[in-house]
Amino acid sequence: MTFISLQFIVFFMVVTLLFFRLGNQKGRIWLLLIASCYFYMSFIQEYILILGGTIVIDYFAGIQIEKSEGSSRRFWLILSIIANIGTLAVFKYYNFFIGNIHTGLQFLGKPISLPLLKMALPLGLSFHTFQALSYTIEVYRRKQTAERNFVVYALYVMFYPQLVAGPIERPQNILPQLKVFRQYDWNNVKDGLARMLWGFFKKAVIADRLAMVVDRTFQHYPESSSVALAIGAVFYSFQIYCDFSGYSDIALGAAKVMNIQLMENFNQPYLSRGLSEFWTRWHISLSSWFRDYLYIPLGGNRHGETRRKLNILIVFLLSGLWHGANWTFIIWGLLHGLFVLLLTFSIKKGKESQTGFASLLQVLFNFMLVTLLWIFFRAENTGIAWDYIKTIFSFRGGSNYIAINSAEFIFSLAAIGTMLWREYYLPTHFIRNNKWFYIYVTFMVVACYYLGVFAENQFIYFQF
Amino acid sequence: MLKKILSYIFIIIGLFFLWASTSRNAMQYISQKRDNNEWWGSYQCLKGDLVSMAYLDIVKRFNPLPENENANRAAYNVPKSTILYLHGDSYSRHLSDSDFAGVRKYIPIDRNHGINYHLDTANKNILLIEISERYFRLYFSGLQILDEVCDSVIKKKTIAWSQDNEYPAITEASILPKIGVSDLFNKYINQNLQCNLFNYNFMMPLFESKAALNYYVFNRASGDVVISNDHNYLFLKETVTKTGINSSFSPLQDDEINKLVHNLNTAYDHYKSTGFKEVYLSIIPNSATILQPAGYNNLIPLLQSNPGLKIKIIDIYTVFKKTYESVYLPGDTHWNNKGRQLWLKTVNEKLLQL
Repeated sequence: MTFISLQFIVFFMVVTLLFFRLGNQKGRIWLLLIASCYFYMSFIQEYILILGGTIVIDYFAGIQIEKSEGSSRRFWLILSIIANIGTLAVFKYYNFFIGNIHTGLQFLGKPISLPLLKMALPLGLSFHTFQALSYTIEVYRRKQTAERNFVVYALYVMFYPQLVAGPIERPQNILPQLKVFRQYDWNNVKDGLARMLWGFFKKAVIADRLAMVVDRTFQHYPESSSVALAIGAVFYSFQIYCDFSGYSDIALGAAKVMNIQLMENFNQPYLSRGLSEFWTRWHISLSSWFRDYLYIPLGGNRHGETRRKLNILIVFLLSGLWHGANWTFIIWGLLHGLFVLLLTFSIKKGKESQTGFASLLQVLFNFMLVTLLWIFFRAENTGIAWDYIKTIFSFRGGSNYIAINSAEFIFSLAAIGTMLWREYYLPTHFIRNNKWFYIYVTFMVVACYYLGVFAENQFIYFQF
Repeated sequence: MLKKILSYIFIIIGLFFLWASTSRNAMQYISQKRDNNEWWGSYQCLKGDLVSMAYLDIVKRFNPLPENENANRAAYNVPKSTILYLHGDSYSRHLSDSDFAGVRKYIPIDRNHGINYHLDTANKNILLIEISERYFRLYFSGLQILDEVCDSVIKKKTIAWSQDNEYPAITEASILPKIGVSDLFNKYINQNLQCNLFNYNFMMPLFESKAALNYYVFNRASGDVVISNDHNYLFLKETVTKTGINSSFSPLQDDEINKLVHNLNTAYDHYKSTGFKEVYLSIIPNSATILQPAGYNNLIPLLQSNPGLKIKIIDIYTVFKKTYESVYLPGDTHWNNKGRQLWLKTVNEKLLQL
């Protein structure tokens, strides 16, 4: 059940209306948990057992961590980490690891054949694994009390709006909200619905339209011209933004309708003047997770410059690996780390002489850099990524066909411009008047219907 | 109070649509009730399956040209001694004994249903497997589909109704008791919801206006249909993408060809050992294979020219490639009468050689 589907729209309507019709919080929690189970099982039913298993382990680990002291406390934390990272390692990284062993031994002339796991990756595994980990770590740090109510804890991990693609929540934000009975608030409903519609628009009208160009250029890069490939790369930057932030908008909006506030995941990332700033604006819940649970525990910047740089590289390497078991993601993460180190140095040096124009140039330069790095993220393998980038800079001729005609190309640019304008000037929902709200809803529904590209494209981040 | 009542009404309506769209029996019942209703009936366009899928009835460019169904029909005056089992798909529907040379009895085997009788060994039994190129790799990547056909022919086994089959008639009384747990997670729920919520004849202007916008402004079709490069045909999108097992343009490795040949040979040996005098295979090319061949993965020629292949080939690919006239309908996945008659002529030439 993707967010861009009739099933989700009907499901959301039924669950939300039932939620407000229930007169006590216990009933609401059960409703949301059952609905979340149904939501997750609509992808692959059996995988709920994996999710359920880690939930049970983390629930008991949390209680034991709170009760224990010293090494016992540490033991339960490690158990929780092993359960979560172990699940992730088996389902996400095992085949990648074995594949590389095969390649390495074949290269050495000693080929062997180890068994591969023939299972699809459970949907959103990386997201809910990290969310579960943040709970046990926070309990261990004594910043969060262990949750005694199993249903509430299960819902913390499984809350359907953010179950398969985040935001990766913290227990301090979500758990208290799940326990308080919240009254129906029409303003929240309006805000939530408006945000969901904006997410639908970004996904269906922009991301899935740009996907036609991106798919074409990445599939036909050997015969495409440099201009076509550059357009494909730039469009991918906006496709992935509209796809992922569109998902987050729908998730935050759906929760907001029920008066539950999820954390923001994006803050106009393409307006960043450097990569460090970019990572404070892009997928905020993940970058802050790595900061809080990896970078700072590794020592952060407290042990000298060399150690700080090493820590940054480790974080970006693991961030790349988090996205997928493929060398493309690893290189993408490492390159981000390297450029963060290099450009932080240059920005510090040039800090004094910044003007408005210089800032604009920095934004453009950063956008181009991010776009080039996205090519690794999108390409099937690193060879294709290098070829794609080399071809862009070879300024060669070739096929300029990009799967859409000039009218649709101009429309795509206009849609991107509208999206950037709207998010810059009107970052939050702004309509309080009911009449204008209904007009806005009607306009957005009509726009999504007539201009949307409904090709049943899955959200890009669902694969992680 | 009014809000409360309204919210309950919407909950009930929502749950009803979710239930109706997940239950196979409910969907069958609803479609029976909606059949042929001018207002509530579901949209069906007679201009072609792709025209229908893309709601492009409004664009006359893809309408079929008028054809005489009997044109090019050949007559054969030869002794009728063959029983022809045709294991085919929608391309070979609506054929009869008289379409085939020397055939005493023609027995169509629908791929979805299986059959319920055994070979008459007193006669010359011929099995012809006709399959569309877009399903070929899917079916012959394993032997399951052949086992089913073989079992149904040889062992008098009736294939159980499966999800994709047509359903037996459903009555009101039979709907509720037949809902299973698997119905809750019906993979076709979105298509069913679209059908139940929107796919009504009176809603067609809405769909057609969007299709017209896409066609006239963005020069493309909606959803699963694409327009050919010369703008004269519609293609099923899955047959022209760079990925996907149904496509004419997705990469094909030697290993896969070898596996397909191996499976075909296994099937061939199996059928021969059970009494068929000969077993033929005829792969009907996707329209894009013939009409827009640049980048074709050469599935059919690679298979047909494979020296290890035992099954006998009825090669319609080469015939279509040499034909200058159009053999496909402009807005449909299927061939036109010319294509069909060419195929029958090629099949009959083989039958006459027996």
